[in-house]
Amino acid sequence: MIITEKLTKKYSGNFIALNSIDIKTSKRITSIIGRNGAGKTTFIRILSTQLAPTSGSASINGFDILKNTREIRRSVVSIPQEASLIGIMTAYEQVKLYLVARGFSFKEAGDQANKALDELDLREFKNSPADTLSGGMKRKVFVAMALASNADVVFLDEPTTGLDPISRLEVWSAIGRIGSEVILTTHYMEEAQQLSEDLILMDHGNVIEHGKPTELLRKFDGMLRAETHEERNDCIKVGGTFIRYIKRDDAEKYISRGFTIKQITLDDLFISMGVFLES
Amino acid sequence: MNLKYVGLMAWYYGLKAIPRGPSYIIAALMTPLSLLFIVFIITKGELVKFAIVGGFVITVASVALSSAGDAAFMRLQLRMQDLYVPTRVSPSDYMLALTLSYLMFSIPGIALYSILGVIFHIFNIIAIFVLIAVLVLLVIATSSISFIISGMIKHVRNVWGIAAILSVAMTVLPPTFYPYNYIPRYALYVLSISPVTPAAVIAQSIFHLSPMLLLEVPVLILETVVLFVLARFLTRWREN
Ligand SMILES: Nc1ncnc2c1ncn2[C@@H]1O[C@H](COP(=O)(O)OP(=O)(O)OP(=O)(O)O)[C@@H](O)[C@H]1O
Ligand SMILES: [Mg+2]
Repeated sequence: MIITEKLTKKYSGNFIALNSIDIKTSKRITSIIGRNGAGKTTFIRILSTQLAPTSGSASINGFDILKNTREIRRSVVSIPQEASLIGIMTAYEQVKLYLVARGFSFKEAGDQANKALDELDLREFKNSPADTLSGGMKRKVFVAMALASNADVVFLDEPTTGLDPISRLEVWSAIGRIGSEVILTTHYMEEAQQLSEDLILMDHGNVIEHGKPTELLRKFDGMLRAETHEERNDCIKVGGTFIRYIKRDDAEKYISRGFTIKQITLDDLFISMGVFLES
Repeated sequence: MNLKYVGLMAWYYGLKAIPRGPSYIIAALMTPLSLLFIVFIITKGELVKFAIVGGFVITVASVALSSAGDAAFMRLQLRMQDLYVPTRVSPSDYMLALTLSYLMFSIPGIALYSILGVIFHIFNIIAIFVLIAVLVLLVIATSSISFIISGMIKHVRNVWGIAAILSVAMTVLPPTFYPYNYIPRYALYVLSISPVTPAAVIAQSIFHLSPMLLLEVPVLILETVVLFVLARFLTRWREN
């Protein structure tokens, strides 16, 4: 369980990357979504003791991130968004080394490393130097570390970025098998919707929504998304597309005006953030 | 202390990495061997014993100093520290693991100088033990310098130049290849800023190549302690 109180981060130059965050997570899998620069990585790095907050406090399973650093570091796994493997070491060696760093015995670390790499379909590649793996395979090696780690809380910062659809499914099911509380960030909405019971929506350093995916989408009940490429000033402009949210019953009318109609997804939480048009 | 991690890292990233990237070994041997050659030619063999004793010192120090580049690369590019912060690895474990890995690359150099030492009859048992102790202190001191640099750098690109300058300034200038009393005493004291200087002076003394300068013993110990403590606190384990 993670509890934060007024957690704030200002980077040099007084840029506010996290603005007094108050949240409490208790579900098994929580997804954090938000646009680039929303503050997701900053949030995760502070919770996993890699970065100091400017003010406020946070605790994980009752341990304070500043006062009980040692306990937190032992019980938490955090896979950084931008982590890379050491090119000359093999995938197996790096997972094993990581597990030994977490306190596993050599034998246990070796066994668990093999098991996790097999589960992520990396059996054939586990003994090749990491720089001969593809980008997606490298990402999966980090997921294998988290899967094998047996930690109390696992933070995964964009674990599925750059993965092909099959690999993404493999990673999803691996995440599903991690027995502990998982906090992940993602830009894939269907992933957040299917995988997690809890969703945190961040924007410009603020948590703007927090709840079950179905709850967050409730405000769209009975609605559809209508979009067109024709310039219109009664729609939300997203790139070259013009979008508005309409009542289900009005769909025919909009189709005849040249709109395309789509089902509501989590994407719409973002698109509708600025203006919410109800016709 | 997580010695299992330290040992495994030294094994995977040090020893096993040698056949995968042998150029490091050659790089570690280049400077001392070229200097040995030059000293041999210029002094017609007269100072060659100095160069052999200095060879131990310079091999260890240059491997440890040039590791600053690698340590910065690990931190900034690979985000290795970020991954290992929430584990049972302390900053000292991490430093020790990397240092030991780099030290593996100096093994061939040490072996080569040991063979030369035997050929030129410079060894005696006590001197060997003192030399080992001096080299251990030197490794801790110089790799601490590496970690301090790697922790201060913001872009990996800047580190290679700094590491190269330091490696030459701190290993070639000190009396590693010439008798320390060739230079004025005040110059020796200035050069003692680099822990390589006291290490080289002590090494020359214990092999009876130069008179003993006892002052350099506490200097080496003090520098090692101060550098290690500084590195320990400057190794960014929780960034600000
Ligand atoms: N070291 C830093 N110094 C200054 N500003 C920073 C630093 N790191 C991040 N920022 C800023 O803080 C904000 C939040 O960054 P963060 O990396 O947390 O975003 P994010 O939500 O993870 O984005 P993405 O989806 O692109 O990964 C951004 O505006 C970024 O520019
Ligand atoms: Mg991020």
